[in-house]
Amino acid sequence: MHFLWEGLRQGVQLILHGNSYIVQLTWVTIRVAAISTAVASLLGLPLGLALGLGRFRGRRVGLTLGNAGLALPPVMLGLVLSLLMFPQAPLGGLHLLFTLNGVIVAQTLLAFPIVVALTAAAVQAVPAGLIAQARALGAGTRHVWLLALREARVGVMAAVIAALGSALSEVGAVVLVGGNIEGSDQTLASAALEQVDAGHFAQAMAIGIVLLGLILLLAGALTVLQQRGTVARVRVRAPS
Amino acid sequence: MTPDTDAPSTLLSASALCVQRDGRDVVRDVDLELRAGEMLVLLGPNGAGKSTLLDALAGMLAASRGRVQRSGRVAVALQSPDLARRSVAQNVELALAWWGVPRSQRATRARTALAELGVDHLSDRAAATLSGGERRRVHLARALAVRPDVLLLDEPFAGLDAVTRAELLGDAESALRSAARATIIVVHDRAEAWALADRLLVLLDGRIAATGPPRELLEHPPTEAVARFLGFNGSLTEGNQTLLTRPAHVSLDAEGPLLALVVRSIPLEDGVRLELQLDHGRLFTVAPIPGPRTGERVRLRVDGGVRFRTPVSTRTSVSG
Repeated sequence: MHFLWEGLRQGVQLILHGNSYIVQLTWVTIRVAAISTAVASLLGLPLGLALGLGRFRGRRVGLTLGNAGLALPPVMLGLVLSLLMFPQAPLGGLHLLFTLNGVIVAQTLLAFPIVVALTAAAVQAVPAGLIAQARALGAGTRHVWLLALREARVGVMAAVIAALGSALSEVGAVVLVGGNIEGSDQTLASAALEQVDAGHFAQAMAIGIVLLGLILLLAGALTVLQQRGTVARVRVRAPS
Repeated sequence: MTPDTDAPSTLLSASALCVQRDGRDVVRDVDLELRAGEMLVLLGPNGAGKSTLLDALAGMLAASRGRVQRSGRVAVALQSPDLARRSVAQNVELALAWWGVPRSQRATRARTALAELGVDHLSDRAAATLSGGERRRVHLARALAVRPDVLLLDEPFAGLDAVTRAELLGDAESALRSAARATIIVVHDRAEAWALADRLLVLLDGRIAATGPPRELLEHPPTEAVARFLGFNGSLTEGNQTLLTRPAHVSLDAEGPLLALVVRSIPLEDGVRLELQLDHGRLFTVAPIPGPRTGERVRLRVDGGVRFRTPVSTRTSVSG
């Protein structure tokens, strides 16, 4: 219990004093999480929509791969990526190994199947009759996708929140691809791991508390967005 | 020869149309023509191919043979009245956006269509809070608002209780009438068909079994199968002919020429439905309350009905 309280005390002190180490770690973590979630969403939402609403050859294979990607081991992905990023390897020319960009690529690849699989599942739950009716009244693909996204927004936002959560808290791929370099590509999660390895449990706890606070803050903001329409509906429904 | 300029233009036609589902012929050799201002009702039992034909006419399903020609834009209101999670007015405006109506016209057109169906007072209500009847009205208003040249409605009154359906039927009948538009309505219930149709098309087993004005078809059904589908449920064998009757053709009469045994008596709201067994057939009628009881012998007469030549195999079995 001592470590827990000491970690909590140190964490509060570090945050209140604006410790530059913590500020830098937090900034890197936010950048990695924001960029990788944004890119994964930009690429994953259309693919999730296509897999959820489309009727084309290979759709089931795509859904299976997306669902399997939910359990993609970060260490395995990090290992394969770092091998591919070695100077003589196919991605060596991009100079991504042990860089922040490399870490962002790894986190994006981890977040991508989460967005794809959960978006596909969410839009599949939209009543088929509504989608068919939209098409019957002349809606093109863009209209149908916007309709499905809006109707399934609770599930789609859950996909984005899950992707963000993965990007904030994952360490395996970050350490292998980024090298966990302090001041460069070290994130809050990978810094906490380093502190544990060094036996600085209180420091690790302090970083962990900052990380949990950040997760709570970002997930909370997205949850407000996710639930906004739902609350309105409940209010409308109540008087009848 | 000059074309008749007064005749309404043909907006939809199908020739030798065949449609398959899962490799099976569901619609076969359908020929039809629909003109502006016309309201055609498509009537048939479950599995007759009505919805499949509608999908093919709308272009949502490809024809396996034959062709469909459309002049102007076709809108379809599908059977399921699914609405988006937004207000009633926004649902109609959304349909107008899908249809390509400019944003500036959407609110007015949505209000007009909702008023036509008597639900303009629900404009700001969330769609999720509507009753079944209200959903059906908004669903219809959505299809009317886009002002298509051809409107196809798939069972627009399905799943409603009798009172709600009767109210909607009355309101929809006037809202659906338009001199510029051609309308096809798939219905399951004969009463809906009589209320709406200028022309009735009976589909049996994927083929057009009869087409014509409803009254004409009811008085002169072209085949025994069509007659039975249109409610001619009584049947008497008379030599090489079969007389088919509707309950209205049969009445109890102490001086009547026919003798029958009451084999079933089912109370209705305003009378008793009787099933009557005769030597050469079985008839149905509705008698005033209390009516005869099951097992009683009654005399009756038949006024009307339609006669068809009895197939040889059936004749043999009856006389034998």
